[in-house]
Amino acid sequence: MSGGLARFRGRNNEGVLAVVLLLLVVGMSVANPAFFSLSTGFSILRGSIVPLVFALGVLLVIISGGIDVSFAAIAVFAAYTTVKVAGSTALPLGVLGAFGLALVIGALLGLVNGLVIARFRLPTLIVTLGTQGIFKGVLLTYVGARFIADLPDSMAGLSTTNLLTIGSGQGRAQLHVLVLPAIALAVLLAWMLRRTMFGRSIYAIGGDQEAARRAGIRVMRTQVWVFALVGMMAAAGGMFHMIMGRSANPQDLVGGELDIIAAVVLGGASIFGGRGSVLGTVLGVLLVQVINNSLILVGVPSAWQRTAVGVLLIVGVGVQALAARRSARKVHANVIDQQEVAA
Amino acid sequence: MTTPPSPRESVPVLQVRDIVKTYGGVTALNGVSLDLFPGEVLCLAGENGCGKSTLIKIISGVEKPDSGEIIVDGVAHPAMQPADAIKSGIQVIYQDFSLFPNLTVAENIVLTSAVADRRRLYSPAGSRPAAQAIVDELGLDLDLDADVDSLSVADKQLTAICRALVSDARVIVMDEPTTALTHTEVERLFALVQRLRDRGVALVFVSHKLDEVLQVSQRVTVLRSGRHVITADAATLDPRSVARHMTGRDVDDSRSVGLVPVEGPPVLEVVDLSLTGAYEGISFTLRRGEVLGVTGLLGSGRTEIAESLFGVLPAERGTVRVDGQEVRLHTIRDAVRAGIGYVPEDRLSQGLFMDRSIADNMIAGSLDAHRTRWRTVDRAGTRTTIRGLFDRLRIKAPNVAAPVRSLSGGNAQRVVLAKWLATKPKVLMLNGPTVGVDVGSKEEILAILRAEAAAGMGVIVISDDAPELVASCHRVLVIRQGRLAHTLEGEGISVDTIRERVAA
Amino acid sequence: MSRTDQTPPQAVADGGRAPGSLLSRVQADRSVTRMVVLVVVAFAFFAVLNPRVFLSSINLQNIAISSPEIGVLALAMMLAMLTGGIDLSLVSIANLSAITISTLFTAVGENDPALAQSLAPLFVLAGIGVGLLGGLVNGFLVSRVGITPILATLGTMQAFNGLAVVWTGGTVLYGSPDSLTSLGQTAIAGVPVLFVVLLVTAAVVAVVVNRTPIGRKVQLQGANPVAARYSGIDSRQVLMRTYLISGALGGLAGVLFLSRNPTASADYGASYVLLVIVIAVLGGTNPNGGFATVTGVVLATLTLQIVASGFTAIRLSSYQYAIAQGAILIAVMVIDQVRWRRRPPRRRAGTSQASTPA
Repeated sequence: MSGGLARFRGRNNEGVLAVVLLLLVVGMSVANPAFFSLSTGFSILRGSIVPLVFALGVLLVIISGGIDVSFAAIAVFAAYTTVKVAGSTALPLGVLGAFGLALVIGALLGLVNGLVIARFRLPTLIVTLGTQGIFKGVLLTYVGARFIADLPDSMAGLSTTNLLTIGSGQGRAQLHVLVLPAIALAVLLAWMLRRTMFGRSIYAIGGDQEAARRAGIRVMRTQVWVFALVGMMAAAGGMFHMIMGRSANPQDLVGGELDIIAAVVLGGASIFGGRGSVLGTVLGVLLVQVINNSLILVGVPSAWQRTAVGVLLIVGVGVQALAARRSARKVHANVIDQQEVAA
Repeated sequence: MTTPPSPRESVPVLQVRDIVKTYGGVTALNGVSLDLFPGEVLCLAGENGCGKSTLIKIISGVEKPDSGEIIVDGVAHPAMQPADAIKSGIQVIYQDFSLFPNLTVAENIVLTSAVADRRRLYSPAGSRPAAQAIVDELGLDLDLDADVDSLSVADKQLTAICRALVSDARVIVMDEPTTALTHTEVERLFALVQRLRDRGVALVFVSHKLDEVLQVSQRVTVLRSGRHVITADAATLDPRSVARHMTGRDVDDSRSVGLVPVEGPPVLEVVDLSLTGAYEGISFTLRRGEVLGVTGLLGSGRTEIAESLFGVLPAERGTVRVDGQEVRLHTIRDAVRAGIGYVPEDRLSQGLFMDRSIADNMIAGSLDAHRTRWRTVDRAGTRTTIRGLFDRLRIKAPNVAAPVRSLSGGNAQRVVLAKWLATKPKVLMLNGPTVGVDVGSKEEILAILRAEAAAGMGVIVISDDAPELVASCHRVLVIRQGRLAHTLEGEGISVDTIRERVAA
Repeated sequence: MSRTDQTPPQAVADGGRAPGSLLSRVQADRSVTRMVVLVVVAFAFFAVLNPRVFLSSINLQNIAISSPEIGVLALAMMLAMLTGGIDLSLVSIANLSAITISTLFTAVGENDPALAQSLAPLFVLAGIGVGLLGGLVNGFLVSRVGITPILATLGTMQAFNGLAVVWTGGTVLYGSPDSLTSLGQTAIAGVPVLFVVLLVTAAVVAVVVNRTPIGRKVQLQGANPVAARYSGIDSRQVLMRTYLISGALGGLAGVLFLSRNPTASADYGASYVLLVIVIAVLGGTNPNGGFATVTGVVLATLTLQIVASGFTAIRLSSYQYAIAQGAILIAVMVIDQVRWRRRPPRRRAGTSQASTPA
């Protein structure tokens, strides 16, 4: 492979993903010209905001070598509690205050995950499965199980704020204002992962935890921080979700974790840790959104969406697994064994 | 050899004082002390399991001692963390490299010192020159942007060496740093060691290649069973005396097999076996009753040949015949069916199920052979097999139900051996059969191999332990850069010839 | 250096000349003992708090009738975990199985209701066949393509569930052979038939795991996949068969869904995925593979069902039950960890670390 092509392909196959996404968009536009419009584009972007925020959090955990299935529970917990507090207390919380509260709750819940996992060295999947149940149960039992149809004014104001409105009537295309914080978060996270020692430590831990320890990286502390950060990002995602949905439903989000994980893995992150990028994750989320949005437009019933995402995940990961197998066969020595263990 | 800068006149940079370390009741280190002076190379010698690695981990802050202290520049560190150790200028080149497979060479080289400096930000562009400088200084051909994952073993080792050298280390510990390196690379490393000494850096050098060790070091410290045995000037020692201190007795490197090659019928014939990038045109014949040695540097292809014959790494070209029958070896099961067994180099992860019983381990390879009509496991049959092998190999354990984790290295190796003997193989290959095995067990294992060969099996011993090859092999094949370079027979097999041919 | 040299020779009581692994037996005994204690404690706790409701025969019958479907799924999960994997698609497979049976029954019944009733055994086989098919897909992805089980079954879970949604149009299907329904209501000597099905299934799984070469291979594969490979164990075959069996058990669970309740839908038992993992781990299954006990898993199923119905008896909500599940799961893991002080993860020289996540 020539250098330029290799660079385009990217360390985590981002290039391949971009091409697939592009082909899909072109294909859809040919199949149904209505697809290729600003309003479709904007609505895909709008639909990507919340999944992207969640996915970026999941990306952090996956790079560090773990997995988190409790983020959706944290998101609902933090956002619903915030809405409830903001709606019931006399003191005006304001948008910033509301977000501040949600982030604190999210960080605390994430901290619970991180402390249990790092302190007792437990498998992340099992622990977060457990905390998922606990968080959701506590929310529904002790905070509230009622659907809240109207948000506090400060938050409701954001619901209808658009960054851009182009055209009018049927063809009106609106870009929701919350794409800004989502993009900002992505940029910030990409910078953090690439340019801070904290970010590099996350990669190092995901690559080889024992080597990280020997290199003087404080593994436990880093893991705890990762989970706290993920909690905060989940909380922000939960707030975005409720603001954009203009309501607070405590039964929401939980159950959709696997879609997010699928998007992150499609985006080239390795479930074994150490590999993954923000760009890949963004592309992965967009890909899933485009598929969800476009199937209907080309006449496929929406019921097929779940299957489509599932098959996409299998194909995406399967191609990677086969490629890994082939390259392992080429590089001799004991690399093959590692692959087999991984599989 | 340059004159040692009379270290005793200066102040030690590193002092290790009365270190005791136990793991769940077993003492790994028992009151070990040593001093390290600036500008000297101290060799740490000892058999596997003598406590060398534990001592290194304690010096680098990875493990905490039960008692005793580490004093760096006169400052005692009772609870040193890895970052503290690096901060105080201690760098370790680990035997298993301890690199990050998912990061680039450049990043692997600079990351550790960046962590120790408590840096918050990381700049790829800023750290590259530092990595480039050290690579240039060593005159290496390393691709700084390649993922460590994709490197050869030798390049990984070089990356680990670069990492230790990139920061201004005052103490560098090298744990078996030359296992994968060629003569030229070793020479270059030693030249660099010389330059580091001139700069006043102190080095601890761990290697089992005793002549190499004596060439590079000024003083030698020998550990045995967690205790300090002796520290002496390298000039006053020779490989034989060091070995004596390591084992506590004279090493017998005389031959215990017949000088005459065995005349039995060929059991394994390998013709023109090739695998791109690993080895090329390998042909040899193994006779029934013969013990054949295969040796070469790490990465020479010696392990890959064995793995091809075992179906792990199928060869691309060539023919293999077992008992005259041509066999296809594409998977391990093909090999097992053809009657080829393999005791792998990495016993702990490839050979054993550590948490399972001796019995479970012994029949792991022959489950299908112990099957009743009802397709269930034949419990009486397995019991007989296991009992028989347990007694025949004289495994020291309370009973066959004891977990393998509780066994010593020698006994664990016998369990792996038993697993293969239970399959009644025609050819048994052993890679590093006595690595990590105590001296007494070592001789017994070699004796078992000779006995099994005499009983009609073909045995291949892959090893870089020259005395072991001399002691137990009828013939020795020397592999160099993937090719069969020499076949040593009869009087031609001696420790010196083997060493010379391997490294040439 | 070699860890073996540093680990103390453990004083192991002469547990026998039998080749069965003592350590696994000690572990097994421990998890079984713990589960027996937990079952008794849970039972006593709720019996004391609200004896009138909890000890009523309806409640006890309920526990016995609701346990089997979960228990069978937990056994399937245990098998996947025994190899160091996981099967997230089990509930989706079970639903597909139930939907298949219900659809077949309705389709045949439209023309000939009597024939539909008499073909019930065939429909049941079809349901289990669908489970096998699902297992085949999982097994293929895991053993041939080489996808990590958690991702492969995550994908198939979505795909199977999506198929079920498409098939049912998102609605609930009504209709199931009467014989199945009556099976769900029959009891032999006070023991519901469904519960007997669970016990028989558990016994069969136990024999396969402990007494057959393939079962032993499954255990070894989970204990150390590399060593298993180097022992000539065909990991592809082992993994394929494991996922086939767990798929078939998923299909059987679908049959049990239908016998308890003659409806089928794509979304039934959405909470079971978590529950079944909790049960498997609580029952002594090591999520990293290599150890599991059938008895432990059956007892863990009972414990959680007792807690569930006990919570109802003392008027706690299903949300509180979710808290209890999560808390039990984490508590068990933490206690195990503190008591055993797991060995540090084994390291591999210089090459990529390939620890199984999860």
